[in-house]
Amino acid sequence: MLTSPYTKTVRPLDPRLLRYAHAARRFLLVGALLGLAQTLVVIAFAWLLTRAITFTVAGEPLRTIAPTLVALAGVVVLRSVLIWLLEVAANRGAAKVKSQLRAKVIARLAERGPDWVASRQSARLSTVVTTGLDALDNYFARYLPQLLLTMIATPILIIVILSQDLISGLIVIVVIPLIPLFMILIGRVTQSVQQEQWQALQRLSTGFLDVVGGLGTLKIYGRERRQFDRIRSITEEYRTRTMKVLRVSFLSGFVLELAASLSVAIIAVSIGLRLIDGALLLGVGLFVLLLAPEVFLPVRQVGAQFHAAADGLAAAEELFAILDDETTPEISQADAVAHTVQLGVGALLLNGVSVRRGDTLVIDHLHAEFAPGQLSVLRGVSGVGKSTLVAALLGFVPFTGTLTLDGVTVPAGATRGWLAWAGQRPGLFRGTVAENVALGAASVDSTGPDHRLVVQSLRWAGAAEVSPATVLGVNGEGLSGGQAQRVAAARAIYRALATDCHVLILDEPSSALDSDAEAGLLVGLRHLADQGRVVIVVSHRAAVAAAADNVIELQELAHV
Amino acid sequence: MSEATLHPHTRDVLRLAQPRPRWFVPGLLAGIGSAVMAVALVACSAWLITVAAEMPSLAVLGLAVVGVRAFAIFRSVFRYLERVSSHDAAFRQLAELRLGMFRRIVPIAPAGLASTGRGDLLTRLVRDVDDLQDLPLRVVQPLLVAGITALLSVVGIWLIVPAAGLTLLVCLLLAGILGTLFSGTLSARADRELAPLRGALADEVLEIIENLDVLTAFDALTPRLEHLARTDARLRQATLRRSVGIGVQSAVVALFAGAATLGALYFGVPALDSGGGLLSPVLLGPTVIVAVLVPMAVFEVFGMIPLAGSAWRQVRVSATRVADIVPAVVPGEIPVDVVDPLTLFAPDRAIGPVVLELTDLGARWPGQHEPGVAGVTLRLAPGDRVHLAGPSGAGKTTLAQTLVRFLDYTGSYRLNGVEARLLAQSEVRRVVGLCEQRPWLFDDSIRQNLLFARDTATDAELEAVLARVGLIEWSRARGGLDAPVGERGALVSGGQAQRIALARALLADFPVLIVDEPTANVDSAGADALVRDILTAAADAHRAVLLISHTPVPDELVTARVTLPARAEGAT
Repeated sequence: MLTSPYTKTVRPLDPRLLRYAHAARRFLLVGALLGLAQTLVVIAFAWLLTRAITFTVAGEPLRTIAPTLVALAGVVVLRSVLIWLLEVAANRGAAKVKSQLRAKVIARLAERGPDWVASRQSARLSTVVTTGLDALDNYFARYLPQLLLTMIATPILIIVILSQDLISGLIVIVVIPLIPLFMILIGRVTQSVQQEQWQALQRLSTGFLDVVGGLGTLKIYGRERRQFDRIRSITEEYRTRTMKVLRVSFLSGFVLELAASLSVAIIAVSIGLRLIDGALLLGVGLFVLLLAPEVFLPVRQVGAQFHAAADGLAAAEELFAILDDETTPEISQADAVAHTVQLGVGALLLNGVSVRRGDTLVIDHLHAEFAPGQLSVLRGVSGVGKSTLVAALLGFVPFTGTLTLDGVTVPAGATRGWLAWAGQRPGLFRGTVAENVALGAASVDSTGPDHRLVVQSLRWAGAAEVSPATVLGVNGEGLSGGQAQRVAAARAIYRALATDCHVLILDEPSSALDSDAEAGLLVGLRHLADQGRVVIVVSHRAAVAAAADNVIELQELAHV
Repeated sequence: MSEATLHPHTRDVLRLAQPRPRWFVPGLLAGIGSAVMAVALVACSAWLITVAAEMPSLAVLGLAVVGVRAFAIFRSVFRYLERVSSHDAAFRQLAELRLGMFRRIVPIAPAGLASTGRGDLLTRLVRDVDDLQDLPLRVVQPLLVAGITALLSVVGIWLIVPAAGLTLLVCLLLAGILGTLFSGTLSARADRELAPLRGALADEVLEIIENLDVLTAFDALTPRLEHLARTDARLRQATLRRSVGIGVQSAVVALFAGAATLGALYFGVPALDSGGGLLSPVLLGPTVIVAVLVPMAVFEVFGMIPLAGSAWRQVRVSATRVADIVPAVVPGEIPVDVVDPLTLFAPDRAIGPVVLELTDLGARWPGQHEPGVAGVTLRLAPGDRVHLAGPSGAGKTTLAQTLVRFLDYTGSYRLNGVEARLLAQSEVRRVVGLCEQRPWLFDDSIRQNLLFARDTATDAELEAVLARVGLIEWSRARGGLDAPVGERGALVSGGQAQRIALARALLADFPVLIVDEPTANVDSAGADALVRDILTAAADAHRAVLLISHTPVPDELVTARVTLPARAEGAT
């Protein structure tokens, strides 16, 4: 009902829609043809109806009128078919355009890489790509066809009316431009009223959610009964403020309807007066009177559907912003090169590695050596840049300095065939635990998860009690936080074992674990190190540091 | 569209959404006025020009000229009034609707809503409640306006040409019934076919975007994207297959609109031929034209009905969801107060020290078959600081929720020797406080977020308690007590939220305080400091503290340790 302030930037038809979605062009063509046919049918209907009525008034017998009636019936059927076809075309167009836009955006996100995506709200992004795009349905089904009709039918109908009766035609020509003019003026006023109210409305519209969501807390403090008054006053204020906005924004509908019906009234009166003088024939007058409302119909529909369309275009706008973003990515996943290393050979060496986040230097000339066969722990206070360093090692974030593995320099954007990793967030998927643990590795040889290896990985991650057959929901739902964390660690271990990865990095793998589970994981990590791997654990836990061969402290940079 | 198929609970929910007549009727009358004016405008202008063609005196036409202009203006004016008045009514009812729902939620929250424990589902519930506004606005109002206007027009035309009136009636009924039938079955099939595909697609997209780092690091992105492309294609194909049925309803309505006009013409001609009837010959021609043109105007008004149909389907879905999530009866696992509850401390007297004793305590979440916690025996006396540990899934949070009586229990739970189920829940919560795992911060200032724990507290007291929980520097840096915490505490970190929650609990001065997993949403490096600060701030000779945490706690901070044994996988 209320649209956000950014709708003012919406153009009636965004050229980018045509550029990014070929299906939209096709729909415009088909829609234009159908719109033209509909206009002709409208004219034919009005003409035949006028003819039948003038015959009737002239007292002609039914036999004379019958052919006209039959033709009229044909036109009625044709009109229905055209209405049906236009809706079908609009819906098909919407489905194809959504699919095309979705594919383009996701391909772009994949190309831009995780770090770029992480800098945006991921939930927001996925909503825009899925349900946000559904807002385009109304844009295609209701708005675009009417926009096409406005552009096709309005001029044709005006010409027809002009050719029949100059005065009525002139009335229409004068009134039609007033509609967009008033719409813009009222839109401006609405905008300013909305902007005044926007913040308050945003807060009030979530006020009820705030009370319901906090009900547990309120009950703990015995305050639940007092909320009735609060809900009432929030909702009352919401009503008064919303109505203030609506009273203004409904004016645009009022003007639309008034312009349309008043000009029909003016045309009717003017025709009537000239009929008395005998200056006009009934047939002409009636024909013009029937066509006059049809001139205004598409314009009125465009106005009425404008909000639905604005929502759709606002969603598309966000996608276009992603597709239009031409800034060269610092790291492109597209040109990543594979680089593999033999297991159990050299060390992972960081030589003067610096990492920037925007303008901030997070890691400054770090020198570190992670030797094979050793369990190394990376430590440092919160915010010191441990996870940033891990992201750089993963190739998600650019760095300066050199990173060498077994003496070979590793470029920033390369694929890490030699690296297995588990992040702070488990990042599990819908499917069985076994499928999650064998992620990626299974798709290489497509034989499915290696059951023995899955069990071993889970055991080494200290998650022996989690059954590989357990089925997880979206985002790994169905496991407790600690279990999910260990399954994620098992996934990294599986990759290390299955593809002989030389380096294993775990970021805070035990933050949600109790000490028993943590001890289990540490035993597993020791096995992996003993096989000759470089094992790096980012952790602040004392037990982890105690089990390590090598503890590297990251120092906080003094920022001026 | 009949309500007969609705579950009674859903019907109760819907009843709450419909504004009372006093608010609803003005908008309805304005709506009918506007629709009738629209039809009258067409009738009057048709009459005007056909009468004019017979070249009568200007005086005969005068009335029609005035009528045409008046109908044109009042049609728009009434429409504006209708929209303002019906929206106002719907918003007035929103307060009643929200209060009605809140009244139902209060006794069961939060544990009875646990099956909807995910934040987005709660948001969904609240949005569903608000969407019920569409019932008066987009369903009842248009149906009544279109129905009454159509009926009036049928009667009007029947008076002029009876057969044309009947034709219009039949066409309206057929268009209404067939149109609704078509769109009803089509959308039902669409929901069955498309909704699961849409859901699957949304889930896949969410997983890919949120876990792009994982997929990239595990070289698993390409197969995922291919799978997504296949899901997308399946959805597209299903949508295209269905699209053929989409326009049928509008086509059917247009067809019958044309049929009504043709029918009026067909029956109107003989009426003119016979030349007789009630009306004088001069008026007969023009009135027949009116009978021919009015059906077009009526069908334009009638176009609201299919839209009302689709709005109704959405409203029904929302109402059903609301009725499902918020049960009309409190589930057995949620406690209900006994009739004459005992009291621990007289309402006007200060609260003294409390001893809490559990013997073989068990509790179960609504809708679960297995108990969430069982066999807990524990004693908490003033001055105790007990660390409760246990593997995830052992029922630590279940125990916390049971102790504040959000869940009912088996076994025994005594406060100063009195069985807790004999006390009012509010009485238990006067003495047993809880800092939740995810403390809720209200979208307001720090002051308001503290004050509701003790509304008589002065600013000095609030600052003192902020100092105790280690937040005083932080709050001063942000502008003191008036600093906002943001929607759902968006401007506050997990650790700070826990500290604010603790400050609240200290203000309320509960004799027994339970702190549930304070470090669950805290940066792991800050967790140890937070646990230490909480235990230090809450320590008091008169207070018993039960700290539930998986983070190791140093010995000097606690007086005892309890470990819950591991339970079956999947328990909450």
